[in-house]
Amino acid sequence: MAEQSWAKHVADVLRRNDIRLYATVPDYIVSHVLDVLWADPGVRVVTTTREEEAVGLLSGAWLAGHRGALLMQNSGLGNCTNALASLNMASMIPMVLVMSHRGDLGEFNPAQVPMGRAVTHILDALGIRWIRPTSIAELEQQTDGLVKLCYVSAQPVAIVLPSELTGGKRG
Amino acid sequence: MSPLTRAGATKYLASRLKNEVVVSNLGQASLDLLAIADRPLNCYTFGAMGQCSSIGLGIAIGRPDVRVICLDGDGSLLMNLGSLCTIAAEAPKNYVLMVWDNEVHQTTGGQATATARKASLVGIARGAGIEKGVEVRTQEELERAVDRILKEDGPFIVVVKIDKGPSTAPFDQDLIGQASRFRKALAALPAA
Repeated sequence: MAEQSWAKHVADVLRRNDIRLYATVPDYIVSHVLDVLWADPGVRVVTTTREEEAVGLLSGAWLAGHRGALLMQNSGLGNCTNALASLNMASMIPMVLVMSHRGDLGEFNPAQVPMGRAVTHILDALGIRWIRPTSIAELEQQTDGLVKLCYVSAQPVAIVLPSELTGGKRG
Repeated sequence: MSPLTRAGATKYLASRLKNEVVVSNLGQASLDLLAIADRPLNCYTFGAMGQCSSIGLGIAIGRPDVRVICLDGDGSLLMNLGSLCTIAAEAPKNYVLMVWDNEVHQTTGGQATATARKASLVGIARGAGIEKGVEVRTQEELERAVDRILKEDGPFIVVVKIDKGPSTAPFDQDLIGQASRFRKALAALPAA
């Protein structure tokens, strides 16, 4: 797979902020970030069976002194909403959520569209601060600050990756 | 009726602990652990049903020098069976999953779970790839299992068949305080 500069930037910001543990249920778009991380012997990537499980795992890692990030498709947000609410928000356990924004501009699969529409509303309803950079310039401007906000607020934050930035997924 | 109770088994396990981390499942397991054997290296959970085993896995990965014992429930583990596959794949040697299996959803009023019918959690765990697993029904079997989990490499699953019945212990609402106390206690534990 050709290296995507946005993906390298995302991986670099996370690593620069001392995030060494990653959990994922893979997705085509975030797999560009995973490719960068899998090539790095200095980080650990755990593939879980479901996104909620990754939230539990990264929460445990935080309690053991490690920062973590969850890489997933936005549909996975639906699979881990309760854990984010009743564990991370209720007990103030931070983690960085990195998710593709399927179901938005250029989407080919109708099944992705309702969750594509819901994703930022779900994050808002949970009180999770999110960014949705549509260019490398916006990514550079916002991502580092968001990760710092995550740990100063001790709550999860989300980087939503739209097709304008990533090129999306074509049929 | 099982001769073992959750409170009795909790008390016995606690009497054997040194510097192990104990992660307790929401509801009954956490209430009993808090009342019977509160200690800073206990990680209570009162949210995210199903996630006890995964939270423990994250702690075990984060601190490979510390033995981590999860006290899960049958209803909760049944909600997150995929976790067994991840535990087997990551295979942390310092990881133990104990399950208080009373075959009911105790916290919601005692409705039967799948372990009351056909499901065997040790069998499912074995299929997921966790090779060390035992089901215990008596005090003697519990003591033998605790001997092993405190000594042998994991990952390990111990399903403890216990009597039904809710905890009578009080609930502590300070979840942020509990998490913070645990995190600081684990950070202060010198690397082994």
